[in-house]
Amino acid sequence: QETTFEKGKKYTLAEITVNGNTNFSEQTIITYSGLKKGSEIQIPGEEISNAIKKLWNSNLFNDIDIYLLKVEDNNAYLEIRLADLPELNEVKITGVKKGKRESIIKENKLTKGVKVTENLVTTTKNYLVNKYKKDGFYNAKVNINNVEVIDSLQKSRVNMVLAIDKGKKVKVQDIVFTGDSVLTEKKLRKAMKNTKKKSFFNLLKRSKYIKDDFKEDLTSVVDKYKENGYRDARIISDSLVNNKDNTVTLYVDLEEGEQYTFGDISFIGNTVYTDDQLGRILRIKKGETYNGVLLQERIADNTKPDANDLTNLYQNNGYLFSTINPVEVNAEGNVIDMEIRISEGKPTYFNSVTVRGNDVTNDKVIYRELRTRPGQLYSKANVVRTIRELSQLGFFDAEQISTDFKNPNPNEGTIDLQYGVVETGSSQIELQGGYGGGGFIGTLGLSFNNFSIKNILNKEAYKPVPRGDGQKLALRLQASRFYQTYSFSFTEPWLGGKKPVQFSTSISHSKQFLYNPRTGNADKDKRFNITGISVGLAKRLSVPDDYFTLSQAVSYQHYDLLNYNTGLFTFGNGYSNNLAYTIGLSRNNTYNDPVFPTGGSNFSITAKLSVPYSLFNNVDYSALAAERDEKVDVRDNPNNNDFVRNNAAARVSEIDQERFKWLEFYKIKFKADWYTRIVDKLVLRPSIEFGFLGAYNNDRGVIPFERFFLGGDGLGSYSLDGRESIALRGYENQSLQPIDENGNVTNDGGSIYNKYSLELRYPITLKPTAKIYVLGFLEGGISHNSFRDYSPFNIKRSAGLGLRLFMPAFGLLGIDFGHGFDTVPGQGNQVSGWQTHFIIGQQF
Amino acid sequence: CSEYQKALNGEDLAAKFSIGEELYNNGKFGKANRLFAQIVPSYRGKPQAEKLMFLYANSFYNMKDYYTAGYQYDRFASSYPNSEKREEAEFLSAKSSYMLSPEYGKEQHPTKDAITKFQLFINSYPDSEYIEEANELVRELDGKLEKKAFDIAYQYYKTVEYTRDYNAAIKSFDNFIIEFPGSTLRETALFYRLDAAYKLAMNSVERKKQERLEKAKVYYHSFVNRYANSEHLDDTKDMLENIEEELKKYSTKS
Repeated sequence: QETTFEKGKKYTLAEITVNGNTNFSEQTIITYSGLKKGSEIQIPGEEISNAIKKLWNSNLFNDIDIYLLKVEDNNAYLEIRLADLPELNEVKITGVKKGKRESIIKENKLTKGVKVTENLVTTTKNYLVNKYKKDGFYNAKVNINNVEVIDSLQKSRVNMVLAIDKGKKVKVQDIVFTGDSVLTEKKLRKAMKNTKKKSFFNLLKRSKYIKDDFKEDLTSVVDKYKENGYRDARIISDSLVNNKDNTVTLYVDLEEGEQYTFGDISFIGNTVYTDDQLGRILRIKKGETYNGVLLQERIADNTKPDANDLTNLYQNNGYLFSTINPVEVNAEGNVIDMEIRISEGKPTYFNSVTVRGNDVTNDKVIYRELRTRPGQLYSKANVVRTIRELSQLGFFDAEQISTDFKNPNPNEGTIDLQYGVVETGSSQIELQGGYGGGGFIGTLGLSFNNFSIKNILNKEAYKPVPRGDGQKLALRLQASRFYQTYSFSFTEPWLGGKKPVQFSTSISHSKQFLYNPRTGNADKDKRFNITGISVGLAKRLSVPDDYFTLSQAVSYQHYDLLNYNTGLFTFGNGYSNNLAYTIGLSRNNTYNDPVFPTGGSNFSITAKLSVPYSLFNNVDYSALAAERDEKVDVRDNPNNNDFVRNNAAARVSEIDQERFKWLEFYKIKFKADWYTRIVDKLVLRPSIEFGFLGAYNNDRGVIPFERFFLGGDGLGSYSLDGRESIALRGYENQSLQPIDENGNVTNDGGSIYNKYSLELRYPITLKPTAKIYVLGFLEGGISHNSFRDYSPFNIKRSAGLGLRLFMPAFGLLGIDFGHGFDTVPGQGNQVSGWQTHFIIGQQF
Repeated sequence: CSEYQKALNGEDLAAKFSIGEELYNNGKFGKANRLFAQIVPSYRGKPQAEKLMFLYANSFYNMKDYYTAGYQYDRFASSYPNSEKREEAEFLSAKSSYMLSPEYGKEQHPTKDAITKFQLFINSYPDSEYIEEANELVRELDGKLEKKAFDIAYQYYKTVEYTRDYNAAIKSFDNFIIEFPGSTLRETALFYRLDAAYKLAMNSVERKKQERLEKAKVYYHSFVNRYANSEHLDDTKDMLENIEEELKKYSTKS
C-alpha cells in the first residue's frame, strides 16, 4: 500500500489495536492516548504525536510506538505498541546501618510500586555518591542492580539492590605548600576554613577531604595573599596523593608574586558626591599595603547588606543603576594607581509599588505602613525599614516577607517594587486553668489582632472571624472562687484613616468576694463590684521628634460595695464613682529589637485627674473632717459602750461615703529607662520610677483606690480598683506596704512610691525563633502614705539573677531569683531573703 | 440502612454511579460527591468516565468548593477535548475562579485568573449562550481591580497630611489613569491628581515652586479638556486662578 506521509492526509480512524507486554486493558490505553475510533485524524499530524506524548506522560509505559497498519478507503488502522515499565517491588540496601536505610529510601522516593526508569537508577546513584563524598568518604562507591521478580503475578516487577561501599573516611595527613616564603604555612593552613590537617587537638573541626570545599579553600589562600599586598598570588597547581593508611596528602604549589602598595586613588564620574565624601568611605590611603579584598569590600561588601560602602552610598540615595568599577591604571614600581570609575546613572524613582499575598489583610492596612511609595526616590534603607515594619505588624510571617524588583528602566529612571507577604494566624485563644490566689482560676481569653469591626454583621466575613482591618479585639473572662472578671477591649490603630491616631476602648466588669475564715470559702454576702468603661486616643507626634507619643483617655468606673469593710473601706455598703481624665506623654527610641534593646531610652509621664468637685459642690469638707476625727476617737475608745461606738462607726461610714461618692484625686507617674551597650553584647539598663497619688482638698483626703502596691513580680493583680502593682524583686508580691502614723502596717497600698533599678543583660541567643538572655539586677524601692514619711533613699534593697525567654508563640517568659536585704513591714526583724519570681509577658 | 449507606459501603461500582447520579439529580450534592469520589479512580480510562467526571466537577461547584471545582473542570476540559460539555466546563471553570475572587482590598490573584479564563472562553466560543454572562462577570471583575488601584491611590491622597508625600498620590493616580483608561473613576482620579499637584505646588519650597505650578497647570488642562461639565469644575477654576497668580511672580522676575 502507499501512504503519503509528507503531506499529512485526513483519514477516518477505523480501528485501534494495542500490542505489547502490558497489564492495562486495551480500552484503557486507547482512552489514555486520546484517540477515538471513528474520529477524523491527520497522518502525520498532531493527534498521533499528542497520543504518544500523553502515553509517555502517564509514566506507566516504555517503548511507545504507534504504527499505521493499513489504509482502506480513507480508513486508517492504527496499532499502539508499548510495554509496561517495571514496578519497584523491594529495595535491599547493603553497606549502611539499618537506621539509615529508611532515610535513603525516603530521600530517593524508592517506594514500592514506583516505575523503575533509567533516570531513577542514575539519579539515585549520583545522589548517594555525592552525599558520601560530601561527608568526607572520598572513596564511596554505589552499585545498583535490578533483579526481575518472577512469580505468579503478571506484572513486570523488579527488586532493587543498592550496594553501598562507603569506604573509610579520608583524612588529610598533611597539606604541603611549595613556593611560599612570606606567609608561614601555619597562616595559610589557617586561611583554609574547611580543609584541615589531621590533628589530635582539632576536636571541633574534623579533618576530611571534600573536593569542592578544598577548591574554596584555595581561593581563601589566594585572598590571604591579596590582603597582604600580593595581588599577583596564584595557585599554580594542586594535587592529591593517596597514602597507604587511608589518608591523603595535599600538595599546593603557589606563586606569591611581589608585594604592592596603593598609589594615587582617584574618582572619576562622580557628580553627586565629592571626592572627599567618597574618600571618607573608601578609607584607603596612598602608601598602604595593597589589599584587593579590602578595596572590594569598601566598594561593595556583598556579605553585609547594610554595610558602609560606596555602592550603598549610591543605592540608598536613589542611584539604583549606578555601577562602580575600580581600575588599575598604573602599576609601576609595585605601586598601584587606582581609578574608581563611577557611572551614576539616573536617579531612580519607584513607579508602582504593590503588595502580593495579602489574602486576609486589607490593602489599606499594609500600604499605610510603606516607606517606599510611588514617585519616591529609590532607597535601599527605606526598603529594609519597610520590611521590618511590616513584620512588626504581626500579621505576616516575618521570615517570608520578600521584595521583587520589576521593570527596571535605566533610561526613565524608574523601577517597580512588589512586596510579597504570607499571612499568619494573628489570633490567639487562651484557655487555661490553674491554682493561684487561694483556689482554682479559670481563664478564657480571645484576642483577634487583625480584626475587622465593620464586618461584624456581615455573615460572609466569618471565616472564622471577620479579619483584615488591622484592628484588635480582645475578650477575656476569668473566674475563681473569690472573683470573676469580664473584659472587652477594642483598638483601631488608624482612626479615620488619615493619621496613625490610635483609638482604644474597653469595658470591664469584676466581682470579688471576701474570704470567709469560718468556711475557708468565698463569702457571697461580702462583695465588691466594679464596672468600668474607658475610651482613649494616642497620637504619634512629629514635634519635638517623631519618637513622642501623646495619649489621652477618659475613664469611668463604678464601685459597688456590699458588707465590704476592710482597711480604708469604711463605707462597706456604699458606692463610689471614678471619672477621670488621663494624659500621658512618652518617648521611646529604644532600638533595635524590642525584646532586647541595645540602646536608646524610654520615658513616660502620665497624669490621671478627676474633676475637682470640692471646689464647687458646696460641701464643707473641713467640718466633715473634724466631725470624722471626733467620731473615730469615739469609735476606737474601748471605754464607750457598744451602742455609742456603733453609732459613731455608722456616722464615720456616712461621712466617708460622702467623701468618696465621686472620687477626687490626681495621680502622677514618671518612668524612665536607658539602655547602653557596655562591651560586646552586654547591656546596662538603669531605670527610675516614681508615682504620687494626691488630693486636691486635704480635708476630703486621699482616696482608697488607685493606689500603689510595691513588691514581687509586678504582674497585674486581678483587682480592677485602679491599683498598680509595682515590681520589686526579692520581696513577696505587694508586701511592701506603708506604715501608718501609729506604726501599724497598712494593707491598702501606698500613695507615694519610688524605685531605682540597675540591670545588666547578656543575650545567649537572639534568633527570631527564640530569644534568650540572662540578667543580673540591683534594685530598691519604697512606698509611703504621705510626704512626711517620704525619704527617697531610705529604700528596701535587693539583688539577684534571672533568665528571660522570648518565643513568638508564647511571648516573654522568665524566672528571677532575688534576694531582699531588708525587712518586710509587719513581718518582724527577719530580712526578706531569697524569693523566686515567675514572669509572664512583662518586662522589668 | 439506606440505599445510600449500602452503596457507600458496598463494592458495586455501577450501583455507586447510578445512586450517585440519582442523588445528584435530587440536589444532594454532598452525598453524590462522596460516592463519585470513591469510583473516580476505577472509572478512569473507561467510556463512562466522561459523564462521571463532569458530574463530579459539578458536585464540587454546587457544594461551593470552587477551588476544587475549578481544578476538576480544567481537568475535564483537557481530558475530553472533544466533549460536548467542554464549553460548559470551561465557562464553569472561569466562574469558579470568579467565585473565589475576594473583596477588592485583598490579594487579587483569583480575580486576574478569572479574567484570563473568561477572556479565553469569550475568544474560543464567541457564539456561546454564556457569552453575555461572561462579559458581565468580566466587567465586574475589572471593576474590582479598578477599585483596588483607586483606593490605594486615594489612601496616599488621604494620608498626605501625615506622610507629606504628595508625589505618592500624584504618581499612583497617574498610574491608575494609564492602567484603566475606561474607568468610571477616571474623573475623580484626574481631579484628585490635580488637587494633590496643586497643593504640592502651593506648599512648595521656592526652588521647585515654578516647576510644580506648571505641572499642576498641565493637570488642570487635562482635567477640564475631558470633563468640561464636572461638578468639580468650580473648584478647579479657583485652583487655576491661584496658580496663575503665583506664576505671575516668576514671569515678572525674569
